[in-house]
Amino acid sequence: MSEKIESRKAQVLTCTLITCCFILIATVTGWLFRSLRFPETNIVVVYILSVILTARFTKGYVYGIIATIAATAAFNYVFTDPYFTLSVNDPTYFITFAIMTLTSIITSALTSKVKQNALEAKEKEAETTALYQLTNHLAATSDIDEIVNVAVNTISKIFNCHAACLCFDESGIPETGYIQQKNEHELVRRHIKNGSELRHNIDNLRTSYYAGEEFCDWPIHGQDSVLGTVRIPVEINEQLSEEQKLLLHTMIESTAMAMDRFHSVQERLRSLEEATQERYRGNLLRAISHDLRTPLSGIMGTSEMLMGMTEKNDERYSLAEGIFKDADWLHALVENILNLTRLQEGKLILDKQEEAVEEVIGSAIAIMAKRRPDYDISVNIPDDVLLVPMDARLIIQVLVNLLDNAVKHTPVGGDITVSVWVEQGKNMAVFSVADRGCGIAEKDIPRIFQVFYTTHGKDTDTQRGIGLGLAICESVINAHGGTITARNRLDGAGAEFSFSLPMEVKQDDAQK
Amino acid sequence: MTLRNEKILVVEDDTQIRNFICYALKQDGFQVETAGTAQNALSTLVSEPIDLMLLDLGLPDFDGMEVITKVRSWSELPIIVVSARDQDKEKALALDNGADDYLTKPFSATELMARIRVALRHLYKAGSHTEQKEAHVGDLSIDFEKRLVHLNGSEIHVTPLEYNLLALFFKNIGKVLTTQYILREIYGIGYGTDTQALRALMAGLRRKIEKSPAKPRYILTEIGVGYRLTDE
Repeated sequence: MSEKIESRKAQVLTCTLITCCFILIATVTGWLFRSLRFPETNIVVVYILSVILTARFTKGYVYGIIATIAATAAFNYVFTDPYFTLSVNDPTYFITFAIMTLTSIITSALTSKVKQNALEAKEKEAETTALYQLTNHLAATSDIDEIVNVAVNTISKIFNCHAACLCFDESGIPETGYIQQKNEHELVRRHIKNGSELRHNIDNLRTSYYAGEEFCDWPIHGQDSVLGTVRIPVEINEQLSEEQKLLLHTMIESTAMAMDRFHSVQERLRSLEEATQERYRGNLLRAISHDLRTPLSGIMGTSEMLMGMTEKNDERYSLAEGIFKDADWLHALVENILNLTRLQEGKLILDKQEEAVEEVIGSAIAIMAKRRPDYDISVNIPDDVLLVPMDARLIIQVLVNLLDNAVKHTPVGGDITVSVWVEQGKNMAVFSVADRGCGIAEKDIPRIFQVFYTTHGKDTDTQRGIGLGLAICESVINAHGGTITARNRLDGAGAEFSFSLPMEVKQDDAQK
Repeated sequence: MTLRNEKILVVEDDTQIRNFICYALKQDGFQVETAGTAQNALSTLVSEPIDLMLLDLGLPDFDGMEVITKVRSWSELPIIVVSARDQDKEKALALDNGADDYLTKPFSATELMARIRVALRHLYKAGSHTEQKEAHVGDLSIDFEKRLVHLNGSEIHVTPLEYNLLALFFKNIGKVLTTQYILREIYGIGYGTDTQALRALMAGLRRKIEKSPAKPRYILTEIGVGYRLTDE
């Protein structure tokens, strides 16, 4: 601060000295002219010249005006009768004084203006050059680091300071360090302590920059979010004129454009990469499903044929039956694994359509009837047609998994019921699968939907399953925006699994 | 073992499945030709008198769908498509492209034979050109002349739309009809995508003919594809 006042004082001193000098030189020249008996007009012209010169070599209008007054006063003092006083005998001199003063003021003002214009033009040119350089250099950059380097170097050069730049990552979190210019050829990376606080301040910014302790942070606004900040040291920032701020703003905008361009290129590359991976993954899944299912279909068909060729009491019948059942189980497992892979990667796109509840349940029961014809499943659904938006294939899978579970835990002839009702208040359709089996152990209930979790306490050989079925159910129901719960029946033995599905497609779902 | 005249072409690239299908068909007395690729299938079709084709959709050389389109350009030969479970859209597309029926892997010999019987029956019916006067499945019967529907011998009242729907199914007993096909036949062109109307109509009809709409005896739902009136 004191430096600033010092320099200001020095400037005032120089300008005053220049003014005095010119007036003095004019007076001496005038004296010379007079002794050489030149007409008085010449002396006046010399004074006017001194005023113009003062205006040319000093800053601002003030010295021009001071020089004008001084020149008039000096002329009056030295060259008008009575000499060496400020009084005048000949009143016509007043006209001379007036014209002299007026001419001096006008000419000095004009000179100052011309000088000002020249200065502004020079500044404009410098700005244009700087901007041109910046955009030129930015165009040649190929990554964020280079963009930051170019921006920091150019801004530092233009504003004659050690500017810095802090980048935000894609989720808008500030990086841990920022790049600052150390000297003309060197950049350093400095650690930032209160990144998240800064981020918060930038988000709530109402002015064009945020003033911190060491730096003023100017946000770099990208198309969708803040990409980072340009950090100008506080003392430099205070001295910036409106024009300079505007220039800085323009430079930051150029930087933002460069960063946006880089991000969009990145985005394009990434989506290309994703598409390739997606295609690869899709091919892999298709290959697996085809390569596993096809031989399994063959095994199942052939073993079934063998069963058809032997008598039921023949030992070979039960051998063939064993092959068939194992193949069937493997087939169900392949289906479940494929579904789970798709679900867990979050890549599953629901093909939601309004489906009649009776048709969906009917299909699930038809599949179960084929698998376990010895069980009779009762159905309890509303009399009126109930249409619920869902991905029918997945919901059927859920119902089949739940029914499969119920069948596994219920002795033949036991009661298994599928019911559906509407919860009016919540606008949800609730599906329930209830059995009369042994129920669920209390400790299993919280974890029953976890992947690979199987209930304990039973002979593992008869309870074959690797705990995928219920995990798939939960994923499918959650993807539909519903919930699934497991509990023991209150009206006697048995377990009840129920899940709810929203009756209306939500707005954001519809847009997907 | 009854010897039949029909010659069936099995187009399937997996040897194991092909063997099992061929064996099952021969057991039932059919003559069998096989092809492992679409190219072979097409050349067999032009050189041999084939009565029915079993076509796997996933062939090594080109898509089974193309085979259907090509065959349909010159022949009304019954085609039964064989596909994996998660290809609902392809099934429906294959049916709309002219396939007569489909089977989902894995399938049993019983299922296979049932579908072949249905397809062949339709083939002969189409050849006979005589108008049916009435038809029945189980306890459900339809009188095409009087436009009446009977269940357990007593007449049941159906709306004209429901009658048309039921008549369509009775003319295609055992055959799967795609939603698109039914919509076109019942409502005409222009109602192409209003599947909801069909669902509501179907639900109404089921309440009149089925004891329990969720466990249908007559009209079965083939989710993602369409409906089928059972033939047994």
